[in-house]
Amino acid sequence: MTKQKKSSDDNLKGTLFATFGVGLVIIIVWVYCFDLFIGRF
Amino acid sequence: MTTATKETTQSTITTSVKEKIEKVDRRDAKLALAHIYVAFIALFLGGIAGLLQVLVRSGSFDLPSFINYYQVLTVHGVLLGLVLTTFFIMGFQAAGVSRSCGTFTDKQRAIGWAGFWVSTVGLVAAAAMILTNEASVLYTFYAPLQAHWIYYLGLALVIVGSWLSSLAQVMRFNQWRKEHKGQTTPLLGFMVVVNNFLWFVATLGVAVEVLVQLIPWSLGLVERVDVLLSRTLFWYFGHALVYFWLLPAYMIWYVVIPKVIGGKIFSDALAKLSFMLFLILSVPVGLHHQFTEPGIDPLWKFIQTILTMFVVVPSLMTAFSLFATFELRGRELGGKGIFGWFKKLPWNDSRFLLPFIAMVAFIPGGATGIVNASYQLNELVHNTIWVTGHFHLTVATGVALTYIGAAFWLIPHLNGRKLTKRANSMANCVGILWAIGMAIMSGAMHVAGLLGAPRRSAYSTYGGSEQATEWISYQVAQAIGGSILFIAILIITALIIYVSFFAPKGEEEFPIGEVAAGSAPTPAILENFKVWGVIMIAVIIFAYTIPIFDIINNSPLGSVGYKLW
Ligand code: HEM
Ligand SMILES: [Cu+2]
Repeated sequence: MTKQKKSSDDNLKGTLFATFGVGLVIIIVWVYCFDLFIGRF
Repeated sequence: MTTATKETTQSTITTSVKEKIEKVDRRDAKLALAHIYVAFIALFLGGIAGLLQVLVRSGSFDLPSFINYYQVLTVHGVLLGLVLTTFFIMGFQAAGVSRSCGTFTDKQRAIGWAGFWVSTVGLVAAAAMILTNEASVLYTFYAPLQAHWIYYLGLALVIVGSWLSSLAQVMRFNQWRKEHKGQTTPLLGFMVVVNNFLWFVATLGVAVEVLVQLIPWSLGLVERVDVLLSRTLFWYFGHALVYFWLLPAYMIWYVVIPKVIGGKIFSDALAKLSFMLFLILSVPVGLHHQFTEPGIDPLWKFIQTILTMFVVVPSLMTAFSLFATFELRGRELGGKGIFGWFKKLPWNDSRFLLPFIAMVAFIPGGATGIVNASYQLNELVHNTIWVTGHFHLTVATGVALTYIGAAFWLIPHLNGRKLTKRANSMANCVGILWAIGMAIMSGAMHVAGLLGAPRRSAYSTYGGSEQATEWISYQVAQAIGGSILFIAILIITALIIYVSFFAPKGEEEFPIGEVAAGSAPTPAILENFKVWGVIMIAVIIFAYTIPIFDIINNSPLGSVGYKLW
């Protein structure tokens, strides 16, 4: 296996994006509820 | 200690642990199994109660006149929230310590058994009171609802028993430490000790509530109880309780899953740091359950809100570390692109699939939890069925499905049988049914909650109110989801009986991952319980002294007991 190939396979990009995804779920849920809250109270 | 020696000791441990302890000693296995059996009896009976609840709440089913809804709900909450969890945890942790640190001494094992019996006697006493309708006060036993004193005493015994069980585990871990001075401790054993430490500090609150307030009051020795103090002591314990449930699931996610998928633990240090952060952030945040309670200074509610939000840090660390374990393994197997590794994971292996579904459920569960804990937003969801939707994602899926998935390999490991291919496929079906049933039930609970539907309430049209009619279709949806979950519980029960008594004899692995070769050594400070213990106590004292002082100082006359059922 060449060195180049290894460096392109051996990264944690997916992990980074997946963790961002978790953060995004948190933000969407929160903002949705915040909007309901502002609309009601 | 220098980095170099740490590194070498770390690698010697991994090999020495691997050579010496592959299988939990038969005698320790019996202790663990006793706990696990009780846990799964609780799941079965609690599941029946859950089914009855969703049916009643759909509006098309009436309970027979000799049972009342709140009695059923107490059975459900106590069996699933307190018994399933505590007993499974003590069984799993006993097995985990024995597997990672070595066999218990006879004395330690005897203490473990004493713990089991004290808890079980307490459980029987509490159950007898619930069944005779002397204690329909729900699993949070909020004053001024007043149960029979035997109910409180029984629950107190369950806790005392769990102290003994944890003591045995901590003694075994300390023994390992003495025998391996200066070495990095086994990750699983370390995590068990963190959880037991957390449990001990947290249960002191509820022990004081029960022994000092509720038992004398229910015995009639004192007439009145300080309601606000009792609830504050309860939630000092109650929030940490949810972390006590969660950390064993994290143990499985951090330590077991990497081995199951053929990968490595991303980092021993990161795992230990996140557990220590959970330790210090679990107790001093209980006021976030009491936002609507008058009599507590809003400033302290706000301070505890901030402390609560810090828990995002170890949570996202955990998410990152698990994704990294998956990605590294998936890439090793040839996964390409940003998410190509995902397809390479062992989707047919129930030891992976069930906890994976649990992890996925935990993502929206965590998100809704942040809404609950956001001081003002809590107003939107407080005491609505949204909250029930939230904790059926977190404890009833994130935690419970992880335990269930673990039991299917742990029981055969402990009793010398095998999880067969077919049983594994059935287990996968359980995972899928659970995912579908819970998505429907919990989803409907969330929406109905936002529309104002209350939790902890039997079916009612509220005098034909227009708002209440909006909830009915969601309650029917909850009944459909709940029925699917109940089918899953029936299959689980059958599978547990199968792996306990009928599966073919053989060897089932207790998977324990190894730390990735390139990861940094664990700094000794992360294993220093004195340092973290002092920080934990300091934060608790900071967060609770003034609120509790205020509550006692301004306490009103107190309340007599009520039996409203
Ligand atoms: C067949 C599966 C299940 C069904 C159908 C179900 C259904 C329900 C429903 C409808 C409620 C709320 C009732 C009300 O507030 O009036 C409830 C409450 C609750 N459930 Fe479940 N559930 C199930 C499984 C579980 C599991 C596995 C756990 C925990 C591991 C759990 C823990 C709880 C707790 C702690 C409560 C709160 C009780 C209270 O408010 O006092 N449930 N469940
Ligand atoms: Cu909480």
